[in-house]
Amino acid sequence: MISLTHVTKLYGQVIGVNDVTVDLERGAHGLLGPNGAGKTTLLGLVTGQLRPTMGRVEVFGERPFSNPSVLSRIGYCPAGDIRERSVTPLQWVSYLVRLSGFTRHEAERRAAAALDQVRLSAAADRPIGTLSKGMRQRAKLAGALAHGPQLLVLDEPFDGLDPVARHDLVSLVKEWATHRSLLVASHLLHEIEPLGAGLVVILGSRVVASGSSSEIRSLIDATPAEVRVVCDKPRRLAEIVCRGDDARSLRFERDDTLIIGTRQAGMLAEQIMAAAIDEGIAVREVVPDDRSLEGVFGRLVSLHRGGV
Amino acid sequence: MAAVDAADARGRHAEDQPVVSLLTSAVTIAEFQLRRMLTRSRLAVAAIGILFPAAVVAAVGRTAGFPIERDLAALLIYALVPEAVCVLALLVTMCPVVADELERGTWIHVAVRPNGRRAMILGTFAAAVIWTVSVGTLALIPAVLVSGTEEPMRVFSVMLGLIVLSAAGRGALFALPAVIVPKRAMVASVGLALVVEYLAGLLPAVINQATVSLRLRSLLVEGMGWRRRLPAEVQLLIDTQPPSVQVLAVLVLVTLLLGLAVVIAERRQFPPSEEI
Repeated sequence: MISLTHVTKLYGQVIGVNDVTVDLERGAHGLLGPNGAGKTTLLGLVTGQLRPTMGRVEVFGERPFSNPSVLSRIGYCPAGDIRERSVTPLQWVSYLVRLSGFTRHEAERRAAAALDQVRLSAAADRPIGTLSKGMRQRAKLAGALAHGPQLLVLDEPFDGLDPVARHDLVSLVKEWATHRSLLVASHLLHEIEPLGAGLVVILGSRVVASGSSSEIRSLIDATPAEVRVVCDKPRRLAEIVCRGDDARSLRFERDDTLIIGTRQAGMLAEQIMAAAIDEGIAVREVVPDDRSLEGVFGRLVSLHRGGV
Repeated sequence: MAAVDAADARGRHAEDQPVVSLLTSAVTIAEFQLRRMLTRSRLAVAAIGILFPAAVVAAVGRTAGFPIERDLAALLIYALVPEAVCVLALLVTMCPVVADELERGTWIHVAVRPNGRRAMILGTFAAAVIWTVSVGTLALIPAVLVSGTEEPMRVFSVMLGLIVLSAAGRGALFALPAVIVPKRAMVASVGLALVVEYLAGLLPAVINQATVSLRLRSLLVEGMGWRRRLPAEVQLLIDTQPPSVQVLAVLVLVTLLLGLAVVIAERRQFPPSEEI
């Protein structure tokens, strides 16, 4: 369904995506990566907004750039907000559906149905400028799916939503993915995981990993990490940790802080807790260092490049 | 799957009729743009544009005396309406076609629709022409009435034709900077109007054949029956071909300029700024 072969996209001297080769079959797929990783560029290539500088992009077996037959089968929900504030969601979605080639009457019918689907019917006739961020996200989603595309492409669709709205939209998108294809980009693994989608991890303009969400999570969990332990006897704790196999490096910071490099953060935490109880060590803090997504992805890249 | 596809296609224009599909999309965009133009601030500016020519004509009439002599009235109204009012109306409607959509975050939604980019240019052009012709016509009526000139219907009909051609010709001309330098389109269009229309257009050389202003001046001279009375040096600034050729020349210019703008818009890529 989506095929990228050695695709590179350059913006002048800035690299958008770098030598990406991915084949995605029909079904649900997640594109995971931190901000600036190249996700939106990749979606731009798939949705025919951008042409690759090198390589080949095919969607439904054709090149998507300015190709009406491909574009009519794609629904795209961009990350940016709608700043067209004077129109109502119903007018906006009808407008987009008409641009997908539908008659006025059919467009209005589909727009109303799509707004109902995203639970925005009650606000369908209010100007977009008066809607909350979550409502505008729903209006955007309605615009992407109202014309009945075969492939729905969503860029950070859950960004800025409250938990209830997020749950509603996840359910909606998940239901969609049961009978159509889906490509969702996000920088948060937990946003994509409930969709049960296969994952492609992108960082630094490159695809660094792909697989099921459990495979990606195992990979993330297995990446080297550092654990910062603040306690009253850091040197005693270091001796205990050295006896096990989980620590790969040790260093001290100040008189009360031990930083342990490990591939098994979970196991190490258990070891520290046991030692604290047995040896009477007063542990004040156990903090995984740099567990932000960028940190995890940074280590994934390191692995990808052959690091340890 | 076939049932799903059939349901998806219900109410959809046939994909094997690309021209129909494109025109339908262009009409959709024209409607949307016209609705957007009907804001209080835009209408207030239009009201000033409508009343301004009549005010200038009244001021001239107070000095020269009423009724204003027909030729002077026609020249004055030509400079004020088909030239000034039309160009100003197009600057605020056609120039921002891409920049406005980028700023409002709507370009991306339209660009991923089957004929989105080309329909955006054609639809906005249609809306800009409709808006400009409407404002121009509304400005023309009080200007002609205030002038108190003889043969008001002749002046009105000649000017109305010139308004339509000016709106179409300059609208297509301004589409180019709109797609080439969207964020500087207004400045580029003013420069283009000055250099191409009012400098090259007044050069007695081959280059003026490619300007709308030459065609409008020639039609004005023909329409008002001035040709035989013009001094020899002024004759150099008009074209001697019949009116039908002048109209055809404007239509050819519109087709070429608009076609070029559509091709450029079709190939333009706007990188996602978040990633740059």
